[in-house]
Amino acid sequence: MTARRSVLIVGESLAGITAARHLRALGHTGPLTIIGAEEHGAYSRPPLSKAVLKDPAADHTLGLVLDGLDAEVIRSPAVTADTRGRTVTTADGRQVDYDALIVATGADARRLAAPGQRGELVLRTLDDARLLRARLADAGSAIVLGAGFLGMEVASACVARGIPVTVVDTDQPLERILGGHLSAVITARAAEYGIRFVQATGFATLTGDPVRGVALPDGTELTADLVVTCAGEVPCVDWLAGTGLADRLGVGIDHACATTVPGVFAAGDVTYFRGDGTLPDRRAPFWSNAVAQGRTAAASVLGLPSPGPPQDDYFWTEVAGLTLKIVGRLPLLGAATTVQGSVTDGRALLTWGHADGTSTVVAYGLRKPVGALRALAAPSSPPAP
Amino acid sequence: MKISVDHPRCEGHGLCADQAPDVFSLDDEAELTYHFEGTDVPDEHRPAARAAVNACPVAALRVLS
Repeated sequence: MTARRSVLIVGESLAGITAARHLRALGHTGPLTIIGAEEHGAYSRPPLSKAVLKDPAADHTLGLVLDGLDAEVIRSPAVTADTRGRTVTTADGRQVDYDALIVATGADARRLAAPGQRGELVLRTLDDARLLRARLADAGSAIVLGAGFLGMEVASACVARGIPVTVVDTDQPLERILGGHLSAVITARAAEYGIRFVQATGFATLTGDPVRGVALPDGTELTADLVVTCAGEVPCVDWLAGTGLADRLGVGIDHACATTVPGVFAAGDVTYFRGDGTLPDRRAPFWSNAVAQGRTAAASVLGLPSPGPPQDDYFWTEVAGLTLKIVGRLPLLGAATTVQGSVTDGRALLTWGHADGTSTVVAYGLRKPVGALRALAAPSSPPAP
Repeated sequence: MKISVDHPRCEGHGLCADQAPDVFSLDDEAELTYHFEGTDVPDEHRPAARAAVNACPVAALRVLS
């Protein structure tokens, strides 16, 4: 392996750009190419469901920095890959050869509209956020389909605008991610904040063309001016057809961010961790994982040990006017082991101890940096002699 | 290279300090200190500082020049 090998990163994303930066930092001096699908380049997505929905001025603050990468950037989506010939073809017909490939194409919003059914709103891109913001300006009512992080953030944005909102899901808000205890706390707070929640007994479907409502399995139909689907994401893997790299969950990786194909690595929302007998396959499409995996993929491309694990269990959300920051394993079973402060007052530090000595730490409405939360989540140090 | 910090937007996540501990630090209440306020980021810290700008989950950091 020589330092002059060419590295191709497909996906002008946080994971892709993080990988590029670490490749250079780790001494890669060979050609580096980034293929991006976004016409205007890479940008930060977490603010789309928060600051951007509130304020158009935020639109222009999201761009990611590519300075100093000494990379060729091609802004045309990848359409096919040939991992035997080691080449990727873009929509505008360019063919890019590589010695090592990093797949970082992220994910698209999952859509629930029937074929031909128009007007489904989702929130994944800046264009989605702009459209939703414009629609929020004159909506008198809203339905959000999906009570995960994104759904609850969108519902909170509706309430902040004075728009009555109903959230529909088969599980309680954030229950699949956080577990029953914290979900119950948040559900109660969301109700007080003005978010109406309807628990469906099965899959809901979008009604109307354009979409105007939601039909529940029991025959109930809810209608609103605005219906937003927040039903998760679908990894962007169409361009990998025929390579054997991807399946329904995305591109499977190991702890070195290596795929099953030699010379191909992957990072960010497009990936899932392959199960290893004790753990099942699992997706973890979170911001801090995109950073951690970008760094690991860069090291692996160069044959170097990763400077850190390919996973960083840090999550945060804004729900019902409150910020939650979480470090550690999820979901959380049962009540918190320790509570400092008051959940009722919206300011508490909660911890759940695990059998291996680690903890999951939740800053509930408290301003705490991730470093402090990680220190609390680490295995408790042995008592001083 | 100069960096601007939008302090009202900063929520104290601290992911910038993960990437560039010589450029950014946070206290226990998550108040951010930018170590090169009003001056240039020294050359040796620029790659890390750019990574930190990208890692900010609320887009509160921007490279000005």
